[in-house]
Amino acid sequence: MQDGAMATTATPIENETPFKRLKDGLLSVPSSIEYNEPVALDINEKESAVSITVVGASGDLAKKKIFPALFALYYEDCLPKHFTVYGYARSKMTDAELRNMVSKTLTCRIDKRENCSEKMEQFLKRCFYHSGQYDSQENFAELDKKLKEHEGGRVSNRLFYLSIPPNIFIDSVRCASLSASSGNGWTRVIVEKPFGRDSESSAALTKALKQYLEEDQIFRIDHYLGKELVENLSVLRFSNLIFEPLWSRQYIRNVQLIFSEDFGTEGRGGYFDNYGIIRDIMQNHLLQILALFAMETPVSLDAEDIRNEKVKVLRSMRPLQLENVVVGQYKSHTKGGVTYPAYTDDKTVPKDSLTPTFAAAAVFIDNARWDGVPFLVKAGKALHTKRAEIRVQFRHVPGNLYNRNFGTDLDRATNELVIRVQPDEAIYLKINNKVPGLGMRLDRSNLNLHYAARYSKEIPDAYERLLLDAIAGERRLFIRSDELDAAWALFTPLLKELEEKKIIPEYYPHGSRGPVGAHYLAARYNVRWGDVGADQ
Amino acid sequence: MASQFGYCSSSSTTFTPSSFKNETHLSSRFNIVPRKSHSSTSISLIRLRIRPRKHFQLKSSSGHPLNAVSLQDGTAGVPLAKNDMEPQGKEESLPFSQSENVGPHLSITIVGASGDLAKKKIFPALFALYYEDWLPENFIVFGYARTKMTDEELRNMISRTLTCRIDQRENCEDKMDRFLKRCFYHSGQYDSEEHFAELNRKLQEKEAGKLSNRLFYLSIPPNIFVNVVKCASLRASSTSGWTRVIVEKPFGRDSESSGELTRCLKLYLTEDQIFRIDHYLGKELVENLSVLRFSNLVFEPLWSRNYIRNVQLIFSEDFGTEGRGGYFDNYGIIRDIMQNHLLQILALFAMETPVSLDAEDIRNEKVKVLRSMRPLQLEDVAVGQYKGHSKGGKSYPAYTDDPTVPNNSLTPTFAAAALFINNARWDGVPFLMKAGKALHTKRAEIRVQFRHVPGNLYKRNFGTDLDKATNDLVLRVQPDEAIYLKINNKVPGLGMRLDRSDLNLLYRARYSREIPDAYERLLLDAVEGERRLFIRSDELDAAWALFTPLLKELEQKKIVPELYPYGSRGPVGAHYLAAKHNVRWGDLSGEDS
Repeated sequence: MQDGAMATTATPIENETPFKRLKDGLLSVPSSIEYNEPVALDINEKESAVSITVVGASGDLAKKKIFPALFALYYEDCLPKHFTVYGYARSKMTDAELRNMVSKTLTCRIDKRENCSEKMEQFLKRCFYHSGQYDSQENFAELDKKLKEHEGGRVSNRLFYLSIPPNIFIDSVRCASLSASSGNGWTRVIVEKPFGRDSESSAALTKALKQYLEEDQIFRIDHYLGKELVENLSVLRFSNLIFEPLWSRQYIRNVQLIFSEDFGTEGRGGYFDNYGIIRDIMQNHLLQILALFAMETPVSLDAEDIRNEKVKVLRSMRPLQLENVVVGQYKSHTKGGVTYPAYTDDKTVPKDSLTPTFAAAAVFIDNARWDGVPFLVKAGKALHTKRAEIRVQFRHVPGNLYNRNFGTDLDRATNELVIRVQPDEAIYLKINNKVPGLGMRLDRSNLNLHYAARYSKEIPDAYERLLLDAIAGERRLFIRSDELDAAWALFTPLLKELEEKKIIPEYYPHGSRGPVGAHYLAARYNVRWGDVGADQ
Repeated sequence: MASQFGYCSSSSTTFTPSSFKNETHLSSRFNIVPRKSHSSTSISLIRLRIRPRKHFQLKSSSGHPLNAVSLQDGTAGVPLAKNDMEPQGKEESLPFSQSENVGPHLSITIVGASGDLAKKKIFPALFALYYEDWLPENFIVFGYARTKMTDEELRNMISRTLTCRIDQRENCEDKMDRFLKRCFYHSGQYDSEEHFAELNRKLQEKEAGKLSNRLFYLSIPPNIFVNVVKCASLRASSTSGWTRVIVEKPFGRDSESSGELTRCLKLYLTEDQIFRIDHYLGKELVENLSVLRFSNLVFEPLWSRNYIRNVQLIFSEDFGTEGRGGYFDNYGIIRDIMQNHLLQILALFAMETPVSLDAEDIRNEKVKVLRSMRPLQLEDVAVGQYKGHSKGGKSYPAYTDDPTVPNNSLTPTFAAAALFINNARWDGVPFLMKAGKALHTKRAEIRVQFRHVPGNLYKRNFGTDLDKATNDLVLRVQPDEAIYLKINNKVPGLGMRLDRSDLNLLYRARYSREIPDAYERLLLDAVEGERRLFIRSDELDAAWALFTPLLKELEQKKIVPELYPYGSRGPVGAHYLAAKHNVRWGDLSGEDS
């Protein structure tokens, strides 16, 4: 059931406690009845309804990602027959106004445009809006009433997507869970980062959430885990004989996880400045990919098995040391008559901000498989390119017969496996190959799989997959609380030290390749960044 | 039949004392050159290379210290790195000035110049080498055949087959003219020492007293190999440089006749003067096979029975004998393709890591593979012959419709075989070979099928037969050179569907250069004394030892080949043979063909 193979069929419900109220015992809702017959919930999918409430519906994320993802799922027939989408926010808006707002961001898949506008209309008819305060149980109770109307007596499953600032997470969760939980089906809540800003605040958040929700009602989204090529990472490793034998310190020299954006905060630095790139990208997205990359083979593809293995990786890692980290901040830069602003030029950022917009770190996994292999992690804003990729550099061939063809540094001609997550998804393996012709010149060529060339289908957005998984109760791609704790444990000492010592970031020009410090960090571990080499 | 394969001009069985004398006389002839002058020329040659070749920089020839002739032979144009130079040269000042324009003279004689191979392959290959400046400054090409022809007529004949590289057409005409000016013709009988003596005189004229190296390319039927070698070596050997002879298959038709041929050739030549060509070894992707294996960390760990389930060597032609079956009918596809081309590729594929890339080291490893193999059994082989077939109103002839083929011929035009290498690396791994004429496609490729993933987490995505979703490495030798690795990959989209995608390297897309013909590489190697891609006599013996019992049994038992329609995928017997060893042919799996 949990297997991803089934995900498209949107099987609902496993035997989870429907909702937290049972434990609280405060409410007189006949929860005990459902608890006694949980099987009934599972029996007839057709008779159940799913209500998806987007809390914070007027926000950017909701408009740009969540509604379009829901529409795409609807468009591809991945949503259950009976579903409604509710927008919830403080703004006063009618249903029609919401629909109008939402309709502007909906798009159909490029590769199948038929019936697009028709489908859009049908989808919009299922969208409603309820205006309310985030901390008002009363307002959520009103929402509950409306939801019940739509559910029309069917088994009701409810998904809340919290697309709101972290400081009101708890209030909303409290109100939603107390006043708008499903009476007879499941209730799930999707939350997005930030999950705190260090071990303590994260733990406090978890503790607060768990007052109202069970762990398995909480779906902590890390949208990078929904990226096509991150999903494919496990497929590559575990369904191909040729990769797994190579997947260890014996053959892998280093691993690089690279994330870069080619734009800065662009006037939206207020939130970012409080977190910085390490919390925003590294501690979650890149670390999650690293854990997936490095984990041992799980017992099965079940969510708990996979997450068990990921936690083991995180717990085998050394907490980051200050000397293994380089931080940077972009400064303004003029190029071709255009001036790009510095980070501190952003009006929402304090002038004296030391918040890193770039960071590179060397991390190590002290287990039998990875001992001594540097994992280099790099993330930055306002760089020369937009890219997210995983690079695996293999060791050089011992006793290479072709030594003389490679010059003095054998490590310059090693095999490299590159998984490009975005943009322009691709997998390629750099191999040494003879240049055709007389004589014996070798070069590095790619064994290439370029998604755009191979697969004509448009690749779904990460949010589509994650929403679908949440509806299906597939937790594989969501972060469990112990994973979150382990992740924070690695980064919290470093983050504290950076802030206490007021470490000044190395400045790099907007649009450049980032601070050179990243190269020196890599050099210390005998690594060359693969993304800024000449052959890129 | 056997008489045809009595190679020696004297009776092949009785070895008269005189022929021995003759031989000693010969070898002394070969050794006229004093050691000193030889070595010094080799030094000058090094310095005078028109263009340094970034080759392996082997010291192959000078690595033969014990053989007298190898000294002579050692003037190979392989550019030794300075620090690799043998110290011998210091004994004497160099006889040739170190100016750029003087170097040893190279005379290439194509014996059988009016034949098809010469016209289609050898002259064009020589021109291509010339065009790309690979040939020494002073070279001439002599055509030798029985036909009466003037130099002009020869030039006229070959000019029609010369082409320039598609990607660099400048000066093409110009270069052609200059090349043709270096081509000459001498008419003579193949068994006439006198005629070869005349050739020798002409060569000497052109060589004008310079140190001269001579290369003979025997592009003639096997029954006159030995005659030509005798005449050429007695009358037209170089007196100052090396003399080398390139011979092409067939090298006999079984162990005995091959042994006999070798013995006869060695009456007149030493082993390292003989360059047995197998033009498949000159193919780009066959050359690349060792590079892939030994210069990439990711492949070598997988290169054994632990990970490889089977290996397939596939050769197919999409045409039949087309009126030229006379020669073929006497040999059949097993001798024509399998025992040489495919077996050579197999040996390269399966060999242990050689000590170095030197010719002797590589060939030592290849021989070890061949000697570890089980001789073929009749039950490991399926043979076929194409029959007539009508398709779309057009009818294609049967093999026996060829007027040059006996009507009752049982000669296989198709064969599939399972071979095994009984060594630690390959024990139990079937190597399947398949070669055929008149099939649906023209192709030569190597396919490596890996084992299935033990304890595969994605089992249920693969249906019942895990072996249908294993990784495959494919090296497509021709046409349209490519390397690709089939991997299981998630089909993008929601849900979890897996499919097999390719990690792909298509040469055409990656390399804009035209890929040189195999003959170019091999001719160049022969000129440079690089023996890596030529077959040593012990390799040849080992190869025949594997196939001879089978070939004899096929003929003695008059095994009737399974008939398959012209243009089809070959006899189904090949599938049953594969099935017996738990293999599926990768080229007929549907996704690839």
